[in-house]
Amino acid sequence: MSEINRRNFLKKGGALFAAGALPVSMIDVAMGGTGEDDFTFAYISDSHITHIKGNKFVNNWDHGLKRAVAETNLMDPKPDFVFYGGDIAQLGKPEEIDHGLEILSGLHGKTHYVMGEHDYYVDLGDYWKKQLGPDYYSFDHKGVHFVVLNSILTHEAWMHKKWDSGMDRMLQMARLDNPEGSPFMVGDAQREWLSKDLEKISKETPVIVFSHSPLQKIYKGWNFWTDDAEEVQALLKPFNKVTVLYGHVHQIQYNQIGNISFHAVMATAWPWPYPSSYSQVESHMPKLTIPMNRADPFFERDATGWQFMNVHTGNVDIEYLLPNNQNRKVSFDEKSGHPIDETFQAVANQITPQKHY
Amino acid sequence: MKSIAFNPKALAKLVVVTGVAFSGGVFADNFSDEDVQRWQAEYESVLKEGEKIFHGGLKNANTVSCDQCHPNGTNIHPETYPKFQQQLGKVAPMWEMINWCIINPLESDALPADDPRMTALQVYITHERRGVELIPGKH
Amino acid sequence: MLQRSCAVILLVGLTGSLQAAPLGLPPVPIPADNPQTPEKIELGDRLFHDARFSADGKVSCATCHDAEKGFTDNLPVSKGFNDLTGTRNAPTVWNSAYMTSMFWDGREPDLEGQSMQPPINPVEGGLENHDLILEVIKSDAQYTGAFNTVFNIAADKISMDHVAKAIASFERTQVSGDSPFDHYLYGQDAAAMTESQIRGHVVFVGQGRCVSCHTIEQTQAIFTDNRFHNIGVGFKRIQGKESETAAEFLVSKRAGADVDITVLTQANMSELGRFAVTENPTEVGAFKTPSLRNIDLTAPYMHDGSLETLADVVDFYNNGGRVKETDPFSGFISGGIRKLNLDDQQKADLVEFLKALTSPVAVVKNKQAALTTGTKEIK
Repeated sequence: MSEINRRNFLKKGGALFAAGALPVSMIDVAMGGTGEDDFTFAYISDSHITHIKGNKFVNNWDHGLKRAVAETNLMDPKPDFVFYGGDIAQLGKPEEIDHGLEILSGLHGKTHYVMGEHDYYVDLGDYWKKQLGPDYYSFDHKGVHFVVLNSILTHEAWMHKKWDSGMDRMLQMARLDNPEGSPFMVGDAQREWLSKDLEKISKETPVIVFSHSPLQKIYKGWNFWTDDAEEVQALLKPFNKVTVLYGHVHQIQYNQIGNISFHAVMATAWPWPYPSSYSQVESHMPKLTIPMNRADPFFERDATGWQFMNVHTGNVDIEYLLPNNQNRKVSFDEKSGHPIDETFQAVANQITPQKHY
Repeated sequence: MKSIAFNPKALAKLVVVTGVAFSGGVFADNFSDEDVQRWQAEYESVLKEGEKIFHGGLKNANTVSCDQCHPNGTNIHPETYPKFQQQLGKVAPMWEMINWCIINPLESDALPADDPRMTALQVYITHERRGVELIPGKH
Repeated sequence: MLQRSCAVILLVGLTGSLQAAPLGLPPVPIPADNPQTPEKIELGDRLFHDARFSADGKVSCATCHDAEKGFTDNLPVSKGFNDLTGTRNAPTVWNSAYMTSMFWDGREPDLEGQSMQPPINPVEGGLENHDLILEVIKSDAQYTGAFNTVFNIAADKISMDHVAKAIASFERTQVSGDSPFDHYLYGQDAAAMTESQIRGHVVFVGQGRCVSCHTIEQTQAIFTDNRFHNIGVGFKRIQGKESETAAEFLVSKRAGADVDITVLTQANMSELGRFAVTENPTEVGAFKTPSLRNIDLTAPYMHDGSLETLADVVDFYNNGGRVKETDPFSGFISGGIRKLNLDDQQKADLVEFLKALTSPVAVVKNKQAALTTGTKEIK
């Protein structure tokens, strides 16, 4: 059953245009007839809408988000819902959150939101929560348990220090390479909530966790980091199929730690270098990852994009829709038990633009 | 008219009086460890300035800053310049590409090559890439 | 007889070794399975100009790709069989040898593949299939003789593959460098361009942001990156209806409709651009970057011929990929397109620079050129 799904997904256009491709009855056959366990959703992240003044915003980031919305709306059949992975705004200003939500309102269908640090630190999430509700929650959908965490909190002392202004605190967190930064974490309260939340579901239930920070420890200098990653992973360990989807890093990453598959998503705004490009310090990129192509700064949409997730038999396959690059597909491989890139995983298939240095 | 005769005592006094400025002697090729330390500090003052400019100090209208795409100056690769730069259509040194970024993503005005801010930016960028082998021309 | 052999010698003389390139161009890529010979080129030339290869006997390649009109037809969209119009502007044959795909949407990989499509398109050649073409050839002794000389085959073995190879060979000789721009940048002749053109060159590689798609490199310039971009032309036709248009297109494609016919006969489908070929949602409305050499001779401009003059084109780009500054942006517009904030002087200079890309060999072939280019005479 999942093998048929994979072949269908791999075809030109794949699951993106299944309905446009076949009469309805043939879809049932292609999906193996059950249809129940299989569904798709779109994932857009990291738009970093930046307010300049008045009603002027940075064009580049606006266009990135508009592009993702336009392309997502092409999907046929429509994905079950859209997830937004965090950092709507650049500095958490109401103007930025409003402008971003206005663009996202163009999406057809329901959208779920994840908190990003750029949304949070100017007012500790006050405005975001007013517009969008709780910053951590869970729900079930077609047999899959969805969990959303706010994983960009940090030490209480740092958050509640005597700052000159909320914007001052925000600017500290906004600077990626800030030597005076503070590490991200999920924190005790949420881990306790998560533990209780997971008690309600069976070990066979697939779990998909949404987080802005990686729930791994990749590079602390740029906060590609979650301080209590091990504790969170321990809570997820008992379950058969767990997938963690995160934003924040603005690049392709994927990893497998025990039973948990990890996938980073692209930003709609701009790409970030891989931490290994910083020659002065060590970092820990997941070895599995075949990097995205190096960006050409002339094309504002280069190395940016959005994602289309195909959930089948509890595993997640991702297609990265990249406006200026060859699209990428990273699928869960049953045989090896971890994600692989459909085209580029083998060393012999890798291409020069994927070589970063 | 008194002629300026060679006066060893006067010369010795001259050397003593100007001892601080010309420590090590009056020969150009004799610079001291103190000189080197002082010049290093001069360099580091510009490095500090460069870090500031790189992180929002250009004060361009659209607020986009270099570090947003290049944290710690990564993905700039000063060790590969001069090289063929697609966006300029020719082989170019690093400062021309820095200007390309200032004009395009930062939507601001180019800096003259010898502007102190351009120098400061190059100092910061190169410093963050110190120790990496030169590979001019590498894409 | 004498005239033709003179023409052949002249051709060889012009193209030197048949592979060397004029000033400002790289060597012409020649595929291993279709080497150039003078006879093949001459055969291709004849086939290119033969109007018998159409349903009404009036349409040849040269109908839409007229050497005297910059190898285009100077129409917004081309007119073929029975004066039927298509949806797209005829690209020039000049320097098509340097393209890595053919047609505005790149649906054919090479010149050999390209020439086979128009004869069997209902609004171009109007033929059902290629049979008539082969019949005409096989019943023409001059053709069968030539095919025999070129390919060493008997008349009954002549196929469309041979026809396509000969036409491609001819097209590969239509390369044009040696323009005032080439002499200025690569010939170190500071006086080769006017002051305005020189200022225009600065805009082209600077504020105008042209050079990243219309490439100029250190030792040569083909003025195309061979990629596909949505720059916002004609997109209004399907703005707000992209989803339905894409879905409708895919349903018809799956049912067996020919992409070539669909995009040339249906204006809304044509706007899908590269998406029609790759089905990649990130390529909706994307079209191939044409070369700018001889651009002054190939008006009107863009895939739908909607921009009449070079000044219109410059305005379009200056507005950020819009005809009027008040038009909305397409959601699918390329990240390379943005408002340029050029002033009137810069815009005028840029237009002048584009005129400096006209090559003497193209001028010789183009009767209209002398009136419009104002190009500096190169001896």
